[in-house]
Amino acid sequence: MSSDKLYGIIVAGVGGQGAITLAQLFLGAAWRSRLHTMQSEVHGMSQRGGSVNAQISISKAEVTAPLLLSGAVDLLISMEPLEALRYVPFLSKNATIITSTEPTINMDNYPDINLILGALREIPGTILVDTAEHAKKLANKNAGNMVLLGVASNYTPIDKTIWHTIIEERFASKGEKVVVKNIEAFDIGKKIIAPSS
Amino acid sequence: MSKNAKNESLLLGDEAVGFAAIDAGLTGIFGYPGTPSTEVFEAVEAEFKKNGVANRVARWAANEKVGYEFALGCSYIGKRSMVTMKHVGLNVAMDPFVNSAITGVNGGLVVVVADDPGMHSSQNEQDSRYLADFANLPCLEPSTPQEAYDFTTYAFELSEKLRLPVLLRLVTRLAHTRGVVARQEMKEPTDLGIPNSESRFNWVLIPSNARLQYQRLRDNFGQLLEAADDFNKFKKGDRRGVVVSGMGKANFDQLCKEEATISKFSKLEVMAYPLNDSLIDKMLESCDEIYIFEENYPYIEDKFIAKTRQTKIRGRRDGTLNIAGELDPGVLRQALKLSMPEKKKGPTIDLPARPPRMCDGCGHIDAYNAMKEAFNIIGVSDPRVFGDIGCYTLGAQPPFEGIDTCVEMGASLGMALGAAMSGQVPSVGVIGDSTFFHSGLPTLISLVESKVNANFVIMDNRITAMTGQQEVVATDIIPQLAQAAGLLPEQVHILTPLPKKHEENVKKLVEIFKNNRPDLIIFKRDCIQAMRKGLYAKINEEKKAGGHGHE
Repeated sequence: MSSDKLYGIIVAGVGGQGAITLAQLFLGAAWRSRLHTMQSEVHGMSQRGGSVNAQISISKAEVTAPLLLSGAVDLLISMEPLEALRYVPFLSKNATIITSTEPTINMDNYPDINLILGALREIPGTILVDTAEHAKKLANKNAGNMVLLGVASNYTPIDKTIWHTIIEERFASKGEKVVVKNIEAFDIGKKIIAPSS
Repeated sequence: MSKNAKNESLLLGDEAVGFAAIDAGLTGIFGYPGTPSTEVFEAVEAEFKKNGVANRVARWAANEKVGYEFALGCSYIGKRSMVTMKHVGLNVAMDPFVNSAITGVNGGLVVVVADDPGMHSSQNEQDSRYLADFANLPCLEPSTPQEAYDFTTYAFELSEKLRLPVLLRLVTRLAHTRGVVARQEMKEPTDLGIPNSESRFNWVLIPSNARLQYQRLRDNFGQLLEAADDFNKFKKGDRRGVVVSGMGKANFDQLCKEEATISKFSKLEVMAYPLNDSLIDKMLESCDEIYIFEENYPYIEDKFIAKTRQTKIRGRRDGTLNIAGELDPGVLRQALKLSMPEKKKGPTIDLPARPPRMCDGCGHIDAYNAMKEAFNIIGVSDPRVFGDIGCYTLGAQPPFEGIDTCVEMGASLGMALGAAMSGQVPSVGVIGDSTFFHSGLPTLISLVESKVNANFVIMDNRITAMTGQQEVVATDIIPQLAQAAGLLPEQVHILTPLPKKHEENVKKLVEIFKNNRPDLIIFKRDCIQAMRKGLYAKINEEKKAGGHGHE
């Protein structure tokens, strides 16, 4: 995010995966960085296991529109590979895609996962993150989202210490152990920078 | 999220409205849950729980009409009140809404209505501005979370100044957008006292009073225009012009940062209604061509079309924008013939949709499975079941295809009984407990006397599940209600929708469907989401204390 141009992020996932929580962390981090920001989200029925997305705008200038321009989105973070593919048409030519490789199969006609991952690998600027593996290694079944956030933080103009503060604030009510575990996962994600194709 | 020194915090549009109401000295907030309006009430309720509720009240009502009446009663005794609902909820509350314009109000009354352009979670995308117009009431339309806060603050003052309810119109994208909002200092609840001897009879709408009051409402229209004029801004620029309101304004302002040409347009910002004709005239005089971006019916647009001589009006009527659906930056770019960005090349494989679905282990699934098999056994190969609004509406989809209609709150029961009286055998209507208390109760009374094979199925999970598990006005009283209304104990059946009870439930349903009389079937099992969140503890505690589950 070099110029005054608005930086657009979509967080995608399946209802219940925590896409909105992740989007709120972006919003808080951008605000804490004294940037202008706005974030729109979906509530209600679509959260029942359906496709969900939240959009975040970050800018050095004032932001007024809640929705991003389709085709101009700079960064996609998806908690689910099929959902990542679904939001590709919203992305700009040079956008980065950061997606979990772990499928959520709550439908009868879920395509072959290898087909999905293959299609993602063909798209330039895609970073596949094996969130299941990270969760296992960290013995933290909720680590995936924080790892994805860590990866994504490399593409935003937000300082690492701010991210740590935001994570701390958000999860403080769940106890210090949760905070420490989440920061650990975030830091691992932050080290992932190159496409893992 | 924590606050900073300027008393700023990150709030949803809905939350901004709720906090503004508290800060403005609100006494009572009432309403019925409905996406995207629910979080207005919830924000206030959460604050009251955190900070104590001395002299303040937040209470869900059985439906929007009752919620409106609660607010009107609060206003009558001189306190500031708010009632919240989604757009279709205002249809339910139309009677008190229109008539409270005739009585006028005492304490400030703000009616928050959240419209749903694009129908994200609604059955239509009706535009509440027409209803404010119809009732001769002022309407404010914010476009950002900060405006949502500021306009709410002002709405209470305006309501008390004009002595009228003020409609605050939100749309989904504002209701569910988070942004930075600066709050003012919180006021203690205000109190104007009960209506004095002069205004006492304004509230008694017998014809002799109503005529006077209605005339007064019409005569005061100038005051409404003046109040709206303070909000609506005209700026002369190019011979090309734009009229923006709500999300039209939010999207256009954003676009101006990227496109220098359009920022030179003549511009009318509409943030309050009624819209003064003189502003329309100024725009028409200043422009050869005017684009109108409003959410979502062509309300302002039609006023321009009615008055224009030469100026071309570009909007939803001439096809510049689609007549239906919500605005977004792409829609505006296309309308203004601006360049579109170069997109990333997408995947070439077909992606199956992932619609919302009922949760694994949800009792509705077992209820639908049992009904399906029962129909099969009695030889109805293509059953048509009347449905309603709630999580169980998801049962319309495969593999269940358990309901065939979803029209409006309570329609399942009325339609099932109407069909039964007109020859449908057996006729079945499916409704949730919260929807039943909202609009199904009167139909239950009609069921008793009908003597036809109409079967009302209540999916009773003791909570308003779909909108986020709000408390229902009452729990566990439906069998007693039915019997008090005149159904015999053998006409009231309580079934447990669990896989292990499947055979038993099917057998019972077959018996009921074959029986040529009205029956009430209650599929009773708690919502698994609400159970996981521990939400039943409070309800059960209240029951133990001898209440009916309502506070």
